[in-house]
This record gives sequence, structure tokens and C-alpha cells, in this order.
Amino acid sequence: MVLDDLGSSLRGTLDTLQGKSRLSEDDVEAIVKEIQRSLLSADVDVSLVMELSDAIESRALEEEPPGGTTARDHVLKIVYEELVDLVGDSTELPLESQTILLAGLQGSGKTTSAAKMAWWFSKKGLRPAVIQTDTFRPGAYDQAKQMCERAEVEFYGDPDAEDPVQIARDGLEETADADVHIVDTAGRHALEDDLIAEIEAIETAVDPDRSLLVLDAAIGQGAKEQASQFEQSIGIEGVVITKLDGTAKGGGALTAVNETDSSIAFLGTGETVQDIERFEPSGFISRLLGMGDLKQLSERVERAMAETGDDDEDWDPEDLLEGSFTLKDMQKQMETMNKMGPLDQVMDMIPGMGGGMMDQLPDDAMDVTQNRMRDFEVAMDSMTDEELENPRVIGQSRVERIVRGSGIEEETVRELLEQHKMMDQTISQFQGMGDGDMQRMMKKLEQGGGGGGLGGMMGGGKGPFG
Amino acid sequence: MFDGLKDKLNDFRKDVEETTDEQDPDATDDAPDDASGTDSDAADPGAASAEPATESADRGTGGAPGDPDDDSPAETDAAADDGSEPSTLQRAKAFATGRIIIEEEDLEDPLWNLEMALLESDVEMSVAEAILDTVRETMLGETRKQVETTGELVEEALHDALLDVIAVGQFDFEERIANADKPVTIVFTGVNGVGKTTSIAKLSEWLADHGYSSVLANGDTYRAGANEQIREHADRLDRKIISHEQGGDPAAVIYDGLEYAKANDVDVVLGDTAGRLHTSDDLMAQLEKIDRVVDPDLTLFVDEAVAGQDAVTRAEQFNEAAAIDGAILTKADADSSGGAAISIAYVTGKPILFLGTGQGYDDIERFDPERLVDQLLGADES
Repeated sequence: MVLDDLGSSLRGTLDTLQGKSRLSEDDVEAIVKEIQRSLLSADVDVSLVMELSDAIESRALEEEPPGGTTARDHVLKIVYEELVDLVGDSTELPLESQTILLAGLQGSGKTTSAAKMAWWFSKKGLRPAVIQTDTFRPGAYDQAKQMCERAEVEFYGDPDAEDPVQIARDGLEETADADVHIVDTAGRHALEDDLIAEIEAIETAVDPDRSLLVLDAAIGQGAKEQASQFEQSIGIEGVVITKLDGTAKGGGALTAVNETDSSIAFLGTGETVQDIERFEPSGFISRLLGMGDLKQLSERVERAMAETGDDDEDWDPEDLLEGSFTLKDMQKQMETMNKMGPLDQVMDMIPGMGGGMMDQLPDDAMDVTQNRMRDFEVAMDSMTDEELENPRVIGQSRVERIVRGSGIEEETVRELLEQHKMMDQTISQFQGMGDGDMQRMMKKLEQGGGGGGLGGMMGGGKGPFG
Repeated sequence: MFDGLKDKLNDFRKDVEETTDEQDPDATDDAPDDASGTDSDAADPGAASAEPATESADRGTGGAPGDPDDDSPAETDAAADDGSEPSTLQRAKAFATGRIIIEEEDLEDPLWNLEMALLESDVEMSVAEAILDTVRETMLGETRKQVETTGELVEEALHDALLDVIAVGQFDFEERIANADKPVTIVFTGVNGVGKTTSIAKLSEWLADHGYSSVLANGDTYRAGANEQIREHADRLDRKIISHEQGGDPAAVIYDGLEYAKANDVDVVLGDTAGRLHTSDDLMAQLEKIDRVVDPDLTLFVDEAVAGQDAVTRAEQFNEAAAIDGAILTKADADSSGGAAISIAYVTGKPILFLGTGQGYDDIERFDPERLVDQLLGADES
């Protein structure tokens, strides 16, 4: 994903500031160097990197941290603001009739993006049509046609015609009933004068509401020149970053956004027509800086709590801190987490959990954790109410029955009981704490106090869920 | 391509020349006052003070620069005793032999600028650092003779460092084809949209120009429009194309191509594969299978010249899945920097064989690293 590494390396540098209340010049210099490295290895334009880091450096040195703010938070805030400033909002795309023109280099993914965007608009209740004007590349017509069939959207193209401008005109007429017209064009680069002239002619004929530049996430420093040329010829209102499912960081897109004074519209993340996302700037940067996307997280938690609560009005998460922690509570806890979405996404949103901590986990830790949670749930479904309320009654014969009933291995059932016991112990340590003690509790969990709760689950290999 | 890098390398050379040379005139002024040899100029104490002194000594006796003169020991000793920098003896020796020493601080700024220049040219960060290390090592503590300009020394260091990373595992592609048992199977790999199919069409034309027949085999059984694209190329070039239905087994298609070539005395089988991202485990496993089943004579990795830092990661991973013998760099006409070539050659240890330079079938060129480096460093041509 874009700038992922910035997140982890920046967090490393920022951690050295922990506990400091004032920034020395050396501190700032070290941070700025790290930011430069990260941005450069993410393909962000060199001069843009220098501008950005200069701004961060002078602000970090000049601005007084507001009272009570640590040096770390102060820098974090500055970096955040500068990056938000650079990335801007995602491109505004009103859900109404419009014409969109796509431009970009050969092989950047215009045709695939056209079909994906058409699919996206169709899911928003609009009627899209893709018009293919690439008369140059062999197979372009067939590719666009097949992709549109997969996306189940209207398609216009003419494999025998030779003039892209004429095809664009005919296409708009032929698909007049559609709400959204997406005009795909042949790949070209900034130095091909005749092809640049051609796309200018298409732009004049089509008169698009917005022109989007499609860029491969892997593009390097060339992004600047390409973007500025396309901006000059047809005016770029937004950037589509493709192939983000690879390892490229997409920094070239940031350069392009800066160069064209536009914003990011869509992200392409796979080969099927559904693999398209709208770009969400603030959440993206928050997550990048390891601050957690609190807004999204709280929304998800609320939604999940509401759903869980509907089923069972007796259950209140607050009860965890009073009375005893039963298997039922644990079941609810897991259910709630499941409803929030894939575990890794949720974890990434929790401040302190995502980012730094995620970086240290093995790649498959989340899958493993998720599978184990599923097994645990299945095992719990085979337990009686009595067993769920009072797990102490579960002896050897009951374990055997649960194993037979659920098809889950005995070892896993025992691990479940063990996990519950640890969580119970941990929870009971916190009982009697006031409301404001959540933070202390988190800290305790992080230090591995009792090895239960989320901290235990995230413990990688050794943890009960790991 | 490479014009951008060339300009920047020239800047680097000037940088170093300026930082080391700008001290010479200063030093001439300082030296008489500063008879003890301790130079107040922190940037280049030893070199600055030693050099003019030697000059005058040489001038006085007419001795050759490399020839320590009998008149100078007093001064030499003075410089040696009072120069408190770490390399006192070396400097004394350099002084005596009419050389100066390039200090680390002389290089710091120019090297930082060089690193930025390399990054700006899309050379991957670790590769850029490797180049810097070589340049630094070559130049640091390196003495230069009075007769040499700093420029020449820099040029030599850069030349070696660049050649070191680009000229790896060179082989003559044409000779390889000529000497191999026919038919020769060549499989093309790379991520989506880099220009594998177009490169195949161009290479088929290049082979024909050099007297070899070829058949195309479409191992891209996945992408929409892939069959149509390569068929169109084959029609235009009048080549035989072997293809299966979409969704078929890519290895089988290329194998069929090989069978066809054997039966019809065709020299080269050009096997296309579907573009895939190196992060897609199952598709990379499929590539391994193709490599195992087809066992091609040559595997060429195709990437685009406009690719940035990621070029290294994908080259590494493709090389891992199906060991590559060389690379083709496409869209070289769209890019003025060409750092991707340097990065890919460096991490795979395999040569860049061809450059794709346009949309016509003839727009393919042999890549010659020696010539490239000479061009990059040759100040006169452009």
C-alpha cells in the first residue's frame, strides 16, 4: 500500500522521542532524514521530498509544542498535517451524469480501470458505459469488451475504425442513454508529440467533466514529467493508482497529484473488476502514521455492538469489569470482533496495536488467529449453557463430548479453556478499577500482564491465539 | 534515456572538482602566513597546505612531481609534525611525492548530491548506496598526482562504480542463439502491462533480421484480449502463433510451440506469459511450474524503464520463481533517467539485453553497458 514503509520507519524514529518534551535540532534532523529516506524509497519526487521535509523541519523547530504535548506528538501532528496537505481530499465524484476521460502511459492499466470504474458506478445505481478509443494496440478492443462483459456494463468500440476522435464521438451518441461515460484511450507518454496532440483532439470532442490520469503504482521519478505534460494538454482532475496489490509504494502518484494540483480518485488493487477502492485520505494517513483510524474504528465498534446487542439484550460489555468472566462473555467478545471486519483491518485501526505492532507479527499471524477464533467459536457452539456460564464444570468426559460434537480437535478445546482461564484472571485483576483506568489496563496488557485479552491474542507464536 | 543521469553525473564531477580545487587558490595565499603547515581551513587542511608548498619546491628545483626533492625535507617535516589530522604520515608522503589527499569532508556534499541524483534517476536506494560506497572507497584516501585533475579521478571512480553494477554477466545474445541447439525456447516474464507481448513481436522481427525464424506461443491464457493482441502481431509479421483457449494451461501452450518448431524447423520459440504481480503467490507458483515443465533455454525478464524503486523487488522475486538469464527494458523512450536498468542488473546479476524504444517493430536496441557508461561520462557527446 502507498507509503507503508514510511509508517514503520517513521514510527521507529519517533519512538526515540518517547518521553522527551523538547526537540533538539539533532532530533529533528534525524527524523527529517528518515522521512526523506522513506519518501524517496516510495518513489516520491526528489524535489517534492525536499520541500516536504524542509517544511516539516522548520515547523518542528519553530513552532512551540502546545502545552502538555510531548515532542513525539508534536512532530507526529506536523508530519500528519503536511502529508494531508499534500494528498488532499479524494477526487470529488458526484453520483450524477458525467463524462470521464482516462489518460496514461502504455500498460498503466487504463482499460482495466475503465471497466472497474464502470462497475463501481453501476453499484452506486448509475448506468455506466465504457467507450474504447484505442485503435493502436492490438487486442485493446477485445480486452475492453471482455472486461466490460465481466463488469456487466455497456460497452462501445469499433475494431474496424481508425480515428479515435470519431469513435469517441460515435460512442457518446450510441450510448446516450447511459449516465456515466468513461472514455478509454490508447497508452501514450509525454514525449510522443503526435499522440499528445491526438488526446487533445479527443478531449475537445468528448468535452469530459473530468480527466483522470491512470498511473502504475511502480512508476518512478518519471511521474512528474508525465503528469505535467498530461496536465498541460488535457487538464488532470484526479489520479487513479493501479497495481497497488504489488509491493510498489505509489509515491509517484503523490508526485503526480502535486504536479497536477489534483487528488487521488481511485485505487486499483487486483485483476478482477471488483478490485477498486475509493481513496480515503485522512484515515489512510492516520493509519500510515500509526495513529489508528479512530473514526472508522469507533463506527465499526458501534455498528458491531449494535448488531451483537440486538441478539442478546442481557449482555453488556461493561459487565466484564464486574462479576465473573464466563465463556459466554468470551464468545460475545469474539463475535463482536468478527462483526467489525477482518481482524488485521481492525487491529490496524487501534492506536498502538496497528502499525508498529503489526509490523512485528509474522505475515500469517492474522490468518492463524482468525482460524483459531473460528475453531473456538465452533467448539463453544457445542457447549451447553451451563458449561458456557461456568466453564469449571468441564471435565475430561465433557471435553470428549465437545470434541465429538464440534469436530474440533481436543487440543484446541483445551486451549480454548486455557485461554478463557487466562483472560478471566486478567480481567479480575482490573476489577475495581475506575473508568479512567482503561489506559492503565491497556498498558498492563501490553506488558503481558496475565497474557490474556487482546495482548495475549496478539502474542504471535506463543500466545494462546497465535 | 539516460540523459537525465548523464547531466547529473556531470554535476557530480564538477561538484568534487569545485570543492577540492576551490581550496587551492586559498591555500596559496594561506601557505606563506601559515608556515607551520596547520591550516585553518577545516575542509581540507592537509591537501591545501601541502600542495602549494610542493609546487614551490618543485618549481625551485625543477624536480619531477613524483620525485622527492632534497630541498624540501624541512618543510615536509614541518607539515608532518604540525598536521594533527589522522593521516599525517600519508600526507607527508603525498606532499613529498607531489600528490594531495582527498578528505572525507570534501566528498560529503558531492556524494549527497550524487545520491540524490541517482535516486532522481530511479536508481533503487540500496543500489545507489552500493555505487556511493564504491566511489567513496575509490576516492577516499586516494591520492591524486599533481598532473591529474580531480575531474579525471572522479570520472574513473564513477566509471568503475557504474560499470561494476551494470556490466554483469554479459553475454552475446546473438552468439548464444547461433550456438544453441535449435529450436531455442525463450520465455518472457514480468508484471502486468510492462510490454511483454510487444517485446516478443519486436524480438521476433529482430531475429528475422538476423536470419532466424521464430514461432510465437501465447502462454497468457488469463488476460482479456491477450489472444487477440498476440494474434494480431503474428498476422502483421506473418508468424505462426500457437494459442489455446482462455483459461488453458500456459505450460502446455509453450510446449506445443516447441513441438511445432521441431516439426517445422523453426529456430526460436517465443513464449509469452500472463503478466502477474510478484505478490500473487499462486501465479508465481504457476510461473515456477511453467519454468519446470518447459525448461526454457532462456528466460527474459521484461520491465519498464519508467519503473521506480519497486523494480528491484520484482526483479528479485521473478528471478527467484524462474531464474532469469537477462532482461528487456521497455518504454525507454518515455524515460530520461534509466535508473531501473542499473537497479535490475545489479540485483539479478543478469545483463540488460535489449531496450524497447518505441511503438514500431524496429524499435528495439541491443544494450551495451560499456558504451552506456562511456556515454554517461563523456562530457562532449550528448
